[in-house]
Amino acid sequence: MFYSKHLNKALDNLKSNPQTSLISVSTFAAAFCILGLFMVLYVNLDSLLSTWSRQVQIIVYLKDDLKNPQRKTLEALFAKNPQISSVEYVSRQAAWENFKNTFSAETEFLQSLDFNPLPASYNLRFKPGPNRVENIRLFAETLGKKSEVESLEYGEKWISRFEKFMIFLRVFLLAVGGLLSLGLIFIISNTIKLSALARKNEIELMLMIGATHRYIKTPFLLEGALQGAAGAVLALLAAKGVHGYMSFQFSDSIAKIARDADFLFIGPSGILILFGVSVAVGWLGSYISINKVLNMENGS
Amino acid sequence: MIQLYNVFKTYDGNIPALVDISLLIKEQSFVFVTGASGAGKSTLLKLLFGWERFDSGQILVKGMNVGKIKKEKLYLLRRHIGVVFQDYKLLPNKTVFENVAFAMEAIGASSRSMRYKTSDALKSVGLFKKRDSNPMQLSGGEQQRVAIARALVNNPAILLADEPTGNLDPDISLEILKLFEMANQQGMTVVFATHNHELVRHANYPFIILDKGNVVRP
Repeated sequence: MFYSKHLNKALDNLKSNPQTSLISVSTFAAAFCILGLFMVLYVNLDSLLSTWSRQVQIIVYLKDDLKNPQRKTLEALFAKNPQISSVEYVSRQAAWENFKNTFSAETEFLQSLDFNPLPASYNLRFKPGPNRVENIRLFAETLGKKSEVESLEYGEKWISRFEKFMIFLRVFLLAVGGLLSLGLIFIISNTIKLSALARKNEIELMLMIGATHRYIKTPFLLEGALQGAAGAVLALLAAKGVHGYMSFQFSDSIAKIARDADFLFIGPSGILILFGVSVAVGWLGSYISINKVLNMENGS
Repeated sequence: MIQLYNVFKTYDGNIPALVDISLLIKEQSFVFVTGASGAGKSTLLKLLFGWERFDSGQILVKGMNVGKIKKEKLYLLRRHIGVVFQDYKLLPNKTVFENVAFAMEAIGASSRSMRYKTSDALKSVGLFKKRDSNPMQLSGGEQQRVAIARALVNNPAILLADEPTGNLDPDISLEILKLFEMANQQGMTVVFATHNHELVRHANYPFIILDKGNVVRP
């Protein structure tokens, strides 16, 4: 009852200042659309990273003069690790055959080699799960110390670079979101201030009559929150439009880059966060400005 | 009911507005506050409903120590007080009825009691028939009646009037005065600030004369 009465008042306020309301809703929409598109980028890069990290395996290259008991020691170590899903042994001969098949076009070069330069190896695949890449890294470090092992390969450099990039992107998103929110708080507080100043006499009268601060503030707070909500809805629609256009127009390029992974939109939790932040920014902007206006009044 | 003890009030720039004011206004009494422009009449009224803060002294209104009430709690004091101004302070975008009902709405009254009490208040000032009019279409006297109805609708214990007849003809002023007398007869304490000596003489109520912030005659 309390809020429905104030909601009507807030809607009346929005209707009575259509131009100012439109400007602030559009600003909200533009700012949160930018933030939404960054989130789309983040969601897709994150999905790409998980696809790639699922494909990470350790190739353990063995020393040439390795005897069977030494191999058994290593295999026992693999068996102890519950996160390993499969172990494949590739002998020197098999590796050489694979190499020759892969580079069959380079027959002249292959014929000039009169010995097998490739080492025997184990291909270790890991089960999916949390901290998968970190677990692989730790196990690789253990293996690297073994005397039986010549060298290891598990693409740790690009994985860790990509992970660092994702951390940077997350910080960047937070910074962009924070800056946009600050700007919006400033804009919305000015819009609400105009709306409150237009109703200065009414506010003064309410104070004289004995209205509580809460009663006076609530319609303005709802007005700010409504502007934020409307802006967020428009922003999400615009971001969805851009996402749809890109999916349609650049589907081939995206499929190539993302190795056939889907071009995703922000998930339900992301949508809720964007909407919530927008409403909170509208509310906060109004809160700041209505408090300022009330403090300007003598009797408040 | 209303007690002031050694109250001092200065505005910015150390301009003294009230100097060492001590007063007692009894419950259900009718008191005029008179004096020339700038004597401190409006300031005195503003202190009584917590609109202005004072520098020192004590003010007690209905047992509440005004100087000690926190900003957020001032509404508790103001709900006991109705205020009428020289410039009426009516909202032009609302009808006569809505202007009066606004006072009840602002303190969270139910729609049903708002309908009954607003109608009663408008009847008591003789403006029920004009309830749907815009206040700007009314004469000065009628606008002031609407303002009085708004001050009365919550049935306050105290009615403060700051030059309510300042913009009105002598005949209309007497009609307005009668409305305050009626409120007083119903049990409200009325503090009526005016510089109109004729009105003070005509009504024959106790009066307080202020001059440059000092009480000349309590």
